[in-house]
Amino acid sequence: MAIFRRSFLTLVSLLVLLILVFFLSRLTGDPSYLFLPVNATPEARAAFAQANGFDQPLVTQFITYVQNMLTGDFGTSLRQQRPAIDIALEAFPITLKLAGVTLAIAIAGALVMGSLAAWKPRGLVDRTVGLTSLAGASAPDFWVAITLVLIFSVSLGILPTSGMGGIAYWILPVIVLGLRPFGLLVQVVRGAMIAALSSPYVKTARAKGASETRVIFVHALRNSMLPVITVAGDIAASLMNGAVIVETIFGWPGIGGVMINAILQRDFAVIQATILVTAIAILILNIVVDLLYGVLDPRVRAA
Amino acid sequence: MMQLNLRGATAIGLVLGALSLAPAFAQDAAKITIVLPEEPPSLEPCDAKHSSIGRVVIRNITEPLTMLDPQSGEVVPMLATEWQQVDADTWRFKLRQGVTFSDGTPFDAKAVIAAFKRLDRTDVVCNTKQQTMGGVDLTVTEIDPHEVEITSSKPSPILPTMITVVQMSAPSMDMNGASRQPVGTGPYKFQSWQPGQQITLARRDDYWGDAPVITDASFVWRSESAVRAAMVAQGEADVALIIAETDATDPKMDYAYPNGETTRLRIATNVPPLNDVRVRKALNMALDLDALKPIVGDEVTRAEQLVPQNTDGFDAGLKPYPYDPAGARALLDEARAEGVPVDTQIDIIGRDGIYVGAAEMLQAMQAMWAEVGLNVNIRMFDTGNWLRYQNRPFPEPDAPLLGQDQHDNLLGDASFTLFNKYHSNGVNSMLWDDQVDQLIIKGENATGAERTQAFQQAFRRIHDDLAADIFMYHMVGYTRVGPRIDWKPTIATNSEIAISEMKLAK
Repeated sequence: MAIFRRSFLTLVSLLVLLILVFFLSRLTGDPSYLFLPVNATPEARAAFAQANGFDQPLVTQFITYVQNMLTGDFGTSLRQQRPAIDIALEAFPITLKLAGVTLAIAIAGALVMGSLAAWKPRGLVDRTVGLTSLAGASAPDFWVAITLVLIFSVSLGILPTSGMGGIAYWILPVIVLGLRPFGLLVQVVRGAMIAALSSPYVKTARAKGASETRVIFVHALRNSMLPVITVAGDIAASLMNGAVIVETIFGWPGIGGVMINAILQRDFAVIQATILVTAIAILILNIVVDLLYGVLDPRVRAA
Repeated sequence: MMQLNLRGATAIGLVLGALSLAPAFAQDAAKITIVLPEEPPSLEPCDAKHSSIGRVVIRNITEPLTMLDPQSGEVVPMLATEWQQVDADTWRFKLRQGVTFSDGTPFDAKAVIAAFKRLDRTDVVCNTKQQTMGGVDLTVTEIDPHEVEITSSKPSPILPTMITVVQMSAPSMDMNGASRQPVGTGPYKFQSWQPGQQITLARRDDYWGDAPVITDASFVWRSESAVRAAMVAQGEADVALIIAETDATDPKMDYAYPNGETTRLRIATNVPPLNDVRVRKALNMALDLDALKPIVGDEVTRAEQLVPQNTDGFDAGLKPYPYDPAGARALLDEARAEGVPVDTQIDIIGRDGIYVGAAEMLQAMQAMWAEVGLNVNIRMFDTGNWLRYQNRPFPEPDAPLLGQDQHDNLLGDASFTLFNKYHSNGVNSMLWDDQVDQLIIKGENATGAERTQAFQQAFRRIHDDLAADIFMYHMVGYTRVGPRIDWKPTIATNSEIAISEMKLAK
């Protein structure tokens, strides 16, 4: 029953999103100014509007859009003159890969470093981690990316400046993209672990002679995972929208860049297709996060 | 701390080296990589005036009948070997023989007809015709397989110049959407396109002209100028097109070259106080544009007209307005005394990133105008909204506006600029002057010295008598060329990169 309710709500949110995106994107203005030459005549603009259906009332345009969508036609990109959904589906896996790897590394790093920081609060690890997370949260991606390119590619010549390829091509984008999620997650892990380490069950475990490693990584960490999953879910959602700056600088043709360019170019079909694809992905992600809660906490499962 | 970082970085380097993770920087001898600022939206020949398409397609994959020599600005043969005017509306072109498209189709009169037909497509955005031919319709007929006659719907004394933009695409190319696999007669053929990543071209063995040195070319794109420059410095690419002046830091690799662009602020000459010529002259005289050059590039030169040198109609005798704040103040006082509302707020319609330093330039100009008592306000727009102010019908037609603008004329003739920008009926014009209108029309219908002089007189009136613009600079571009190849960018480089002209450095 819950599944039905949930599916229904998901569909409703998708529909509301579609309506919002459709009408809001058209508020950005007349695309003919961006697609026709500066000296285009008013007649040429009118012909362009007619050819693309922009001369119809907005509601008619929306109905046509929904009708076409139900037959699998998500519209044609004005700029690339090919199906908008193809453009979105080419870009999304790239974003997904980059986001997935970054998040996995950030979570793993945060779990280890956050736990160590919580183990001895105000110790060396804790202070170093605190500083890193502060720096990660405050340094602008753009600056960090260009600086790392200048150091590791131009000065030292050990990593490629940009582009997609083998492991070497992943290092800089993942570092730049992962700094902020790592900084955020490490603080969450640290906070949750400090609370967990002072709880009665940890004291019991210690009293029973469990090793400190076991106490930290088995008993306390598992119980600290819920807030981590929540925050990681939020981060994953924002990464799925595309890490525009990192993707742009490093030449990873992900969905963020496609979406921003489509907005700037008033390429409505592409705006709609990219947002639809990411929205569906985020809805799936939310379901996964809910399922993970259930795995980690039996009380959630029961509810 | 720094020492630690360096040590750490070196350690990572050693590890990567040991694992052979570092990319293969050294490239095959005759393979090159060109890094562009953006991915082309398509490779559609009928839209090759779109510079991001033209850079890949023009003179690499497809070729025109005639081309402009970037050095002299003259029309020279390409796929047409000679031509002559039959009457005011008609020209005949003899076609080069023994030329084939890369798919094996012969290049002949029928192919020319098909290529011109492609220009008339309305199912996709095909800007070449609209952008360069105004309202002129061209009809091509076959005289024999190696000669065509082109008739224009109105007299076109510079038809051979106009058709330099028409790419000869193969008749076999379909008309389904914008092409992503063009077929032409050029020295290279389209090989592959990995969307978002790269486009590759390969040298043809059956090219009609001299075989180029470069065998394979990859086009990649990075929107950050610093990354493009770093790619060449690092050996990942051989040419980084259009880098910012701040990234052009290596005199051995970085070339500054006139890029055919001219900057100005267009004045709404019909709205008070800008309808008073004294105010317009004062706006020009209040600016120390020589001092502001470093904002856009030290190599830029002052402009007095909206076309670059080597353009038919360029008047080398025009002198820029001198920096004379006292004179500007005197003109404004005189106008004020006669009731001209000089103190009205004037708005600049600016566009973020129209050129490097665009916003900073406006701020500096605003400060200089404030010095002479002018009240100028800056309004910055994104491209789409800025473009609305470029074209008729103008929004806010009664507001005293200055429009930030950059215009390129790479076609070697002032007619591609004058009508649209300054004629009373020009779609971008904010000038209404009978004398200018007559000179433009006179020039457009004339040839030779008469044409040149009419256009020169028009520019002189626009600058000296009417001060219709705030005239700024003939701009420069910066492109980085790596040590492996021997090639220098030209005025045409921003819109076409002929790989066949590149040699390997000795």
